[in-house]
Formats: sequence, structure tokens, C-alpha cells
Amino acid sequence: MLQIVVAVLGLLIFTTQLQAQPLNLEKVADGIYVHHGLHEDLAEGYHGDICNIGFVIGSKGIAVVDSGGTFKVGQRFREAIREVSDLPILYVINTHVHPDHIYGNAAFLEDKPQFVGHHKLAAAMDSRKDAYSRMHLEWMGEDFAGSEMVKPTLAVTDTATLDLGDRQLKLQAHPTAHTSTDLTVIDSKTSTLWSGDLLFVERTPSIDGDLKGWIAVTENLGKLSVNQTVPGHGPVVTNLKAALDNQQRYLSVLLSDIRTSISKGEMMESAMNTAAASEKDKWVLFEIVNRRNVNNTYPGLEWE
Amino acid sequence: MLRSVSKTSYLALAGLMLSFSSNALAEADPKIWPVIKEAFFADRKIEEADFIQLTAPKRAESGAQVPFSIALDQDKGHAKAVKKIYVIVDANPIQLAATYNLTEELGKFNLSTRIRLETDSFVRAVGETADGKLYMAAIPIRAAGGCGGIIDADETEVRASAGKIKMNVESPVSFGKTTPATFIIKHPMRTGLQRDLVSQGFLPAFFINKATFTYNDKPVFDVDLNVGTSEDPYLKFDFVPKEPGILKVKATDNEGKSFTHEIDVKS
Repeated sequence: MLQIVVAVLGLLIFTTQLQAQPLNLEKVADGIYVHHGLHEDLAEGYHGDICNIGFVIGSKGIAVVDSGGTFKVGQRFREAIREVSDLPILYVINTHVHPDHIYGNAAFLEDKPQFVGHHKLAAAMDSRKDAYSRMHLEWMGEDFAGSEMVKPTLAVTDTATLDLGDRQLKLQAHPTAHTSTDLTVIDSKTSTLWSGDLLFVERTPSIDGDLKGWIAVTENLGKLSVNQTVPGHGPVVTNLKAALDNQQRYLSVLLSDIRTSISKGEMMESAMNTAAASEKDKWVLFEIVNRRNVNNTYPGLEWE
Repeated sequence: MLRSVSKTSYLALAGLMLSFSSNALAEADPKIWPVIKEAFFADRKIEEADFIQLTAPKRAESGAQVPFSIALDQDKGHAKAVKKIYVIVDANPIQLAATYNLTEELGKFNLSTRIRLETDSFVRAVGETADGKLYMAAIPIRAAGGCGGIIDADETEVRASAGKIKMNVESPVSFGKTTPATFIIKHPMRTGLQRDLVSQGFLPAFFINKATFTYNDKPVFDVDLNVGTSEDPYLKFDFVPKEPGILKVKATDNEGKSFTHEIDVKS
């Protein structure tokens, strides 16, 4: 008898371990849920859960918007979705190529969804996969197991509409800004914008595309009229314009400080210490990300 | 003279790097150097030298464009005798990033450039005198991902703009005094290790391999570049123009094309 109890207990413990711990969710609007990651840097100590990932439930099924930074995080995200709805997962949308947003894709392969992304996403995934997996193995070791690049099966060149039954998702591919693969999503039913990393709230915006391009796209996003916005990082905002203005102020001062430094014949190293210094107290992870932004942007601007 | 890395050393090196890559938290590893030292400077004595001064970030923000400066302190040791400086990045797949050939026209040697780091590595400057003595300084830099991957640029545009040069001499110039000059050349500096998305193979190496500077046709500075030098190679160096004149540069790439530029240096 005792042996049976022990065996059953053992089995219970075993099955609980197999079940991934579901991620916590915020309900943002009717049928819209978001999980907020922590503001950690992509470096040692990174855990693969730093951005906003979420989903939209329609009458026909579910669309996932970004999948998390590892296969394991993706699994925990899928568990969280399954606690809310049993409807089929029809789409996994990636807002851009960055690893914190896409490495959870593999956790959704069993649902056989359409993977949706910018038309440049597949190529960007290919050119980055070696470097990304090497760095992630170094940072996370075993915790990175199972993570892989799952490329889009549906590429968006300009705009596209996904039908979830009682609601439509309007997708827009953007020119190079935060990255060369930025895609935004608007839910028609609740007028909710998923900006991906075209909008950062709280966390310092990081540039891996084109600073001037991002300034232009930020300007364009300001023309949208939506009820709420899920940014790539940070809390959901209702005042989109104020959040975009914040970001625009940082991007503009960064551009103008770098241009001044170049025209004075200074060196990149000194601009890394001084450019956009007036923004220092307004953002999380500023020291790290701002220096990286200068390093990434300065050499290109020397050719203006 | 510098010999190319022998096959045996390469194998030993590859084995060494493989064993390092499994480290959970890699750091610049001092164990790679003895292998490289044997490959590049077999059986030669290299003396540590504090007259070679290196400046770089402890942790590079971008492995693709790591700012790196070398200065020789002329008042110390054998600085004045150094005629050639090799820049070596231990953990890069191609270790030799550049070789700088010095002349007296440079005055006190002071150079800033930007280099690539594939991973955490020691970066070294080995100075060589005319009679073959070697002096070295090294610093560790933490960095990632500077040599492989990540080509988002359009090939036609890259080819069209390759070789465009920008050069500047800080003014006003005081003749006979130290004068900073900046040189940048547009070039992808393809390592041969980046993926070709069409063929799924690797893009062939395509890089600037030489930049030769003269002042009034007299040699000033001669640089052998390799793919460890960043995309759009950047060199800022001091020289001493004795009178007004023309600073000229001729650069060549590994496909045999050459590019020239000159500026009129007035007071």
C-alpha cells in the first residue's frame, strides 16, 4: 500500500515537473492578454524573458504576438494561453528579428500555426542564427535547449489582414527603423496597437536598424488613433502620443549629439560618454544601451 | 618576419578554441596566446613593454566596431626603435587585424582604429625594431559576434560605395608640430565567414588590404589591413608636417582595385 502511495506521489511530482510553470498575464482588453518580461540586458544573467509577449483570442482561434526568448519561456507562455482558452492557435506573429521576441516560436510548432513576419525576417533570421545561438549558449547553457529559429510561413511585404472570426488583425511592415524587420499589429475590435520594439516605454530604446529611419517611423506611428498600445518593452499605454514623444526626444537628441560630435572632429569613444546625456535619468538600462546605440550608429553617420 | 600560421598550429588552435567555447561564462583566455605566439613569432623572444600603451573598453558595446588605440611613449624604453606594430586578436578566427609600418614623419606614434572581436579576447600590439627585437603589450576585452553573421546590407549598394574615402587633417595646422589626421574608407571588410543568404554558403572575403600615406610624396605611414579591422576602416593618427603640402593616400582591396584621395594641408 505504502509503495503504491509513494509511486503515485512520485508520478504526481514527475508530471508536475513536466508541466511548464505558466507565465503570469495581464488582461489588457477583451480577449487581449500580455505577459511583461523584466528589464534585463541581453548579456550574462539574461533569462530569456525581458519583453512583452501576448495573444489575441478571436471566435475562430488565437493569434500569438511574439513568443519569448527561449523554447522554455515559449512553453510557459503556451501553458498560460491554455489556462485562458482552448481555441486553436492559428498564428504566431513575430514583430521583428530580436531573440527575446522569437526564440519561443518552437514551443508552438505542435499547434501548426502560420508563422507571420516582415518580408525581410526570414533572411535576417538566417544571417543572425549562428551568432545568436553561440551567445545564448554562453549566457544560458541548458536553459537555451530546444530554442530554434522558426521562420515565417507568411511574409508581410506591406500590409496584411489576419481573420480571427469576430476580429481582424491589421499588420503593417515598416521600413528599417528599430531593425530591418519591424512589423506592427492592430486589433480592430478593441483598437489595440502592438508596436513591437518600434516603441519602448521605460527601457532605453536600442537601435539595431537605422536611427533616422526610426525617427521617421516614430513620427508616422503618431498619426494612429488607438485606444491602447502594447509596446515591445514596458507597461501598456493609453496615451500613445506621449509615449512616442518621449521616445522621439531621446532618438532626436542622440542623433543631434552624434552629428555635433562628428562635425567637431571628436572621436566615437568620447561621444559614447557624452551623447544624449540629458536623457540619462529618464530610462532604464541607459548606461549600457545608450553607449551601444552610439557605437552602432556613429560609424554610419560619419558618411552623411 | 611574420610567418603564416602553420597547419599544425591551426589545428591546435582550433582544438583549444573548441574547448573554450563550452565555458559557461567565457572570458579573455590567456591560454590561446602561446599557440599563436609560436605560429607568428616562433622561437623569438618577446619582451613585455610598458612603453606600448593600449586603450580600449573593458567590455565592448559592439563586437563589430571596437575602438582601440595604440600609443608609444617615446621617452621610455625602446619606443623610438619600433618600426612595425602588429595588432593581434587572440580569439578571432583570423588573428592578425593589421600591421602598421612606421616612419619618422609620424613623430610620437599615436593611433586610433576600430577592430572586430568575435568573442572575449586579449588584444595585443607587438612592436618590432629594425633589428628584429619584439616588444608587446596586451589587454583583455569582452565582446561578442564581430566576425560572422549579420549582413543586412544590399550587395549592389555595398559594391557601388566601396572605396569611397574621407580624409581630414585637424586645422589650424602648426607646421613642425604634431597634427592629427583622420582617414575612413567605405568598405564591407568581408571576413569570408559571413553567410551568403542566396547560396547558403559563405560570402568570399572582400577587404581593403593596404593603405599607404605620403606627404609631399614622402612615405609617412603604411598600413597592412586585414578583416580584423572593422567595416569602413577608420584610422586616426598623428603626423608632423614640416611645411604646407599634400597628404595623399592610396588604398587597395584584395581584388586588386585601388582608391586614392588627397588633401591640401595649409596653415
